[in-house]
Amino acid sequence: MLRLLQRFQALDRRWVFLGMAISILVPLLYPVSFSFKVDERVRSLYDAVEELPAGSTVLVSADFDPASRPELEPFFRANLDHLFRKDVKVVVLSLWEYAPPLVVPILDEIATRDHKEYGKDYVFLGYKPGKELAIKAIGENIPKTFPTDSRGTPIGQIPIMQGFKQARDFPLLINVSAGFPGTREYVLQIQGQYDLRIASACTAVSAPDYIPFYKAGQLVGLSGGMPGSAQYEKLVYPEGPPAGVRLLGMQAINVLNLGHLYIIGLIVLGNLAFFLTRRVET
Amino acid sequence: MKRTIPLIITLLVGLFMIGEFFIPHYRYRIWTAEFLEWGLILAAAAFVLGLVNLVQVNLPKVLRREEDWGYKLVMLLSLVLTLIAGFLGGDARSEAGHLYHWIYDFVFVPLNATMFALLAFYIASAAFRAFRARNLEAALLLTAAILVMVARVPAGENLPVIGDILPRIMNWIMDVPNTAARRAIFIGAALGAVATGLRVILGLERSHLGAD
Repeated sequence: MLRLLQRFQALDRRWVFLGMAISILVPLLYPVSFSFKVDERVRSLYDAVEELPAGSTVLVSADFDPASRPELEPFFRANLDHLFRKDVKVVVLSLWEYAPPLVVPILDEIATRDHKEYGKDYVFLGYKPGKELAIKAIGENIPKTFPTDSRGTPIGQIPIMQGFKQARDFPLLINVSAGFPGTREYVLQIQGQYDLRIASACTAVSAPDYIPFYKAGQLVGLSGGMPGSAQYEKLVYPEGPPAGVRLLGMQAINVLNLGHLYIIGLIVLGNLAFFLTRRVET
Repeated sequence: MKRTIPLIITLLVGLFMIGEFFIPHYRYRIWTAEFLEWGLILAAAAFVLGLVNLVQVNLPKVLRREEDWGYKLVMLLSLVLTLIAGFLGGDARSEAGHLYHWIYDFVFVPLNATMFALLAFYIASAAFRAFRARNLEAALLLTAAILVMVARVPAGENLPVIGDILPRIMNWIMDVPNTAARRAIFIGAALGAVATGLRVILGLERSHLGAD
């Protein structure tokens, strides 16, 4: 028995990897759907968008990359659709150099589906280097920070940008944040100084960091990782997805079930073996 | 003189930018916006410096055939190829059909996503080997981690009997102990940042100016 437990503790990690691969592949091949509740923080984010009057304009900072795409793309898609269906105009920019090639196709696809016109209903200002400096500059003077949009049109000639000079001119700033620079930097650099209403969709690993900002009222809503994205989709599409739309978050959240349970199983078994071995040895 | 002038510039610019929080006059803001623009230009220029540095560090190692020179060569070739593709593509480089876009879609995206996806496997292995309840603190951490992990997925919410309570326990863990600990860390880090900032502005911290 002792030898068996010792062998289990020294299990080759390739077996652990194989188990993890199976835990992810099985739900992908044989999907099982569980119901889930919506978190209060995600509901607050949804409500912040719902409260926007038709015709208003929001600023979206899309700061993610291919690595964080599975967690944040479902939120980004659902959020854009939510905004467009409410007739809210959207100004998108990015502080991550890897983001524009991901953001532009999604933005164009959803805008086309919702019959929105570039320049009038939405615009992409492009990528700006400088991290916290760029955030500070967005708070101070957007036309100076982004003299043209991503297509090279001078900002003064873009109808949607008329009357918007600073971040505080927008009733809501939505940050889709995969890390640095992201929500933390927006809160630290400009939220307090300009009293901005900021909502954040972040990766699961960042969510515990941003909860204090939400609790302090510095964020009006917070969606954390894949579960947050799935919950937001559930709120935006209560009757299920429209024809031709795949709800990536709701599909993916059920894939996580087995993966999480597998890791918990490993922790429990590892500890059990550890204590039994120690007891037998002493 | 080589050090005095940068120290004076740091002091003046630092004090001026702090003043922005206390002097809301529009003329003052015009100047702070101007300084921010200079900062953004410097940040963009840092990319060029990074590029030069990357070549300076790696090219000699490739030429001398030092350890892992093959990987460095692949990195330098990828750098040159992506640069050329970017320049040739011009403003339309990110549109479908251009080499730069192809490199992004079919090289960068899969590699970046793969690196991140591998974490799932290493987390599973690390959790199995290192996450042990060796003492009370570790046991508390372990219990909190398991409760949060179960409650974060729909399967946890649908467990009989405890399924309804789990999300409430998870929210309490996240809202109370987590928030308290994070706030303590934030406040500590913020005080440290203020102290470091003041030391830089006052010229007491000079490491950014290089070695003596």
